[in-house]
Amino acid sequence: MSLLEVKDLKTYFKTQEGTLKAVDGIDFTLDKGQAMGLAGESGCGKTTAALSIMKLLPANGYIAGGSINFMGQDMSKVTGDKLRAIRWRDISIIFQGAMNALNPVKRVGDQITEPILLHENVDEAVAKKRVQELFSLVGINPNRIREYPHEFSGGMRQRVMIAMALACRPKLVIADEPTTALDVMIQAQILQLMKNLQTELDLAMIIISHDLSVLAETCDLLSIMYAGKIVERSSAVEVFANPQHPYTKGLIAAFPNIKGDRKMPASIAGNPPNLIRPPKGCRFSERCYMVQDICKVSEPPLIEVLPGHYAACHFVQPKR
Amino acid sequence: MVKDVISVNNLEVWFSVRRGFMESLTSKEQNWVKAVDGVTFNIKEREIFCLVGESGCGKTTTGKAILRLVEPTGGTVKYAGPGLSPQKIKEAAADAVSKRKMTREMANKDVKEGRVEVRYLHKSLMKALRQKMQMIFQDPYESLNPKQSVYDIVAEPLVVNNLGANEAERESRVKKALDDAGLRPPKDFMWRYPHEVSGGQRQRVGIAGALVLEPSFLVADEPVSMLDVSIRSEILKLMLDLRDKKGLTYLFITHDLSVAYVFSDRIGIMYLGKIVELGPTEEVIKGPRHPYTKALISVVPKPDPRMKTDKIILKGERPDPAHIPPGCRFHPRCPFAMDVCRKKEPQPLYVTQEHWVSCWLESGVGVQ
Repeated sequence: MSLLEVKDLKTYFKTQEGTLKAVDGIDFTLDKGQAMGLAGESGCGKTTAALSIMKLLPANGYIAGGSINFMGQDMSKVTGDKLRAIRWRDISIIFQGAMNALNPVKRVGDQITEPILLHENVDEAVAKKRVQELFSLVGINPNRIREYPHEFSGGMRQRVMIAMALACRPKLVIADEPTTALDVMIQAQILQLMKNLQTELDLAMIIISHDLSVLAETCDLLSIMYAGKIVERSSAVEVFANPQHPYTKGLIAAFPNIKGDRKMPASIAGNPPNLIRPPKGCRFSERCYMVQDICKVSEPPLIEVLPGHYAACHFVQPKR
Repeated sequence: MVKDVISVNNLEVWFSVRRGFMESLTSKEQNWVKAVDGVTFNIKEREIFCLVGESGCGKTTTGKAILRLVEPTGGTVKYAGPGLSPQKIKEAAADAVSKRKMTREMANKDVKEGRVEVRYLHKSLMKALRQKMQMIFQDPYESLNPKQSVYDIVAEPLVVNNLGANEAERESRVKKALDDAGLRPPKDFMWRYPHEVSGGQRQRVGIAGALVLEPSFLVADEPVSMLDVSIRSEILKLMLDLRDKKGLTYLFITHDLSVAYVFSDRIGIMYLGKIVELGPTEEVIKGPRHPYTKALISVVPKPDPRMKTDKIILKGERPDPAHIPPGCRFHPRCPFAMDVCRKKEPQPLYVTQEHWVSCWLESGVGVQ
């Protein structure tokens, strides 16, 4: 059985103008020790999807349908103490913007000890020792546990966040834009660390980023989201080698490649649609270069193009 | 020969570290944060010169110092672009001489070459010159006033500079700027507020705000780093278009080498307040000479999992500009550091006609 199985997940937000369908029916599965990348432009629903798994949605957000099966339990129905027992113990998250996610007036060590003491029946000395181990695991000097967040640089704070996510030895870690605010050199350090941890601890990971190149370096699987839907999903190598959906092709072409020829990358004209009133038919139709009449009327289903490679476009055919 | 619009020579921006009362009594030495510590480069007319480096290396401070948004503490910044009448150049030179900022010889040379020393311009001349030197800011989500309409934001520079005889003329200039920035038709955007336009359009508003004064030189500080990848190249293409149509010259500041690679004509790699390597873009990216440049290029994520390359991941984080290491400032992180690197600072060495590097590893073709 898979570790995580998301089926037809729908997460909506109540807003003044109407219901905003941030995530509108996505499916994916994740096995133990696998890393999946969730890519897409800002506002495509990738963070909302992750928060739904953790059930950390803001007050006006709710899961409107579908199921999130995590180790045999439907997360969309778990509440109260049961939910609290799973959060951080089995699933943890590395939040976006490490700069602001730590409490500035608490010592970093204490911030990491907190979930350990909450979830496990251990005394403070044991927890403290664990924190020191975690610090050396993520490459921080264990003597720094008594320091405050402002004494750490951005990259070091991100390492603290990673240590915190690993505090209760979770099975699944969600990383929301883990390197976006960081410099290239620090980014490379953090990505390497995450990859090492993933293999060492046999972690399952969901890495959310708008930066395909970051995901290309870290993930086994890749899902491309557009306007609340997954439009393409396969192994990372397969998606890059053999992209099927025009949006995926556009995204890949939008990256300047330092190893390639010196030419201006292509862009995808237009803006993502309004998710309160999404367009009829294919949601990408307004920006698609291959758009035909059918795209504006009927919505393409996610079909299996090649074994394990799914895409949602009227113009892809199963290849057998 | 194409003339240099901007020539920066040995530019320094040092910030003093505040001392406590006791420290000043004990006459402890004044410490400085050397954000920019001797930067030299020039930008030719219609050229895109790119400064690349990690955050805190002083690239933004360099850009701001050229526009005097922060005051340089040393070195010179000369401007020789359009918008200067010979009379103004003479006036500026005479003023600098009378204030004993420049010798008469230096001033005469500037007059002869039709340029002004930006650092010593007095207030009114600086204000006039700023119309020709504008800046595009990094974050279009933070740099636009949410309470102002797009029209007000773009018209603001005209109001401040007292340009445009009447409202009708201002409106036509705003419309033209919006149109130039690709917000078409302008009347659809003019009365919207920043939250009513998308991220890419916000950055276009920022660009329109810079264009409305019809500048000839633009400092663009990470103009695409906050934008989605899918719309980045649209903004870059707009900037290229503007250069071709209006003959603009750019100083482009970025931490993203892959953007610099496709966009700029020449690149300067900055580390801790100094340029360590400078040359034509293709040469620097395809044939880097400085170990820092090599490391930076190796860690740029490749948009393809099949391309696994060896990364040179530097240990540690960038050192503090308040405590610049002696010798070569890169030596604590350099995998090839030698004895000489710890003691003596390397000087720029030309490896080809236009490509120089400051590193002891280069025996070089000739010394500057």
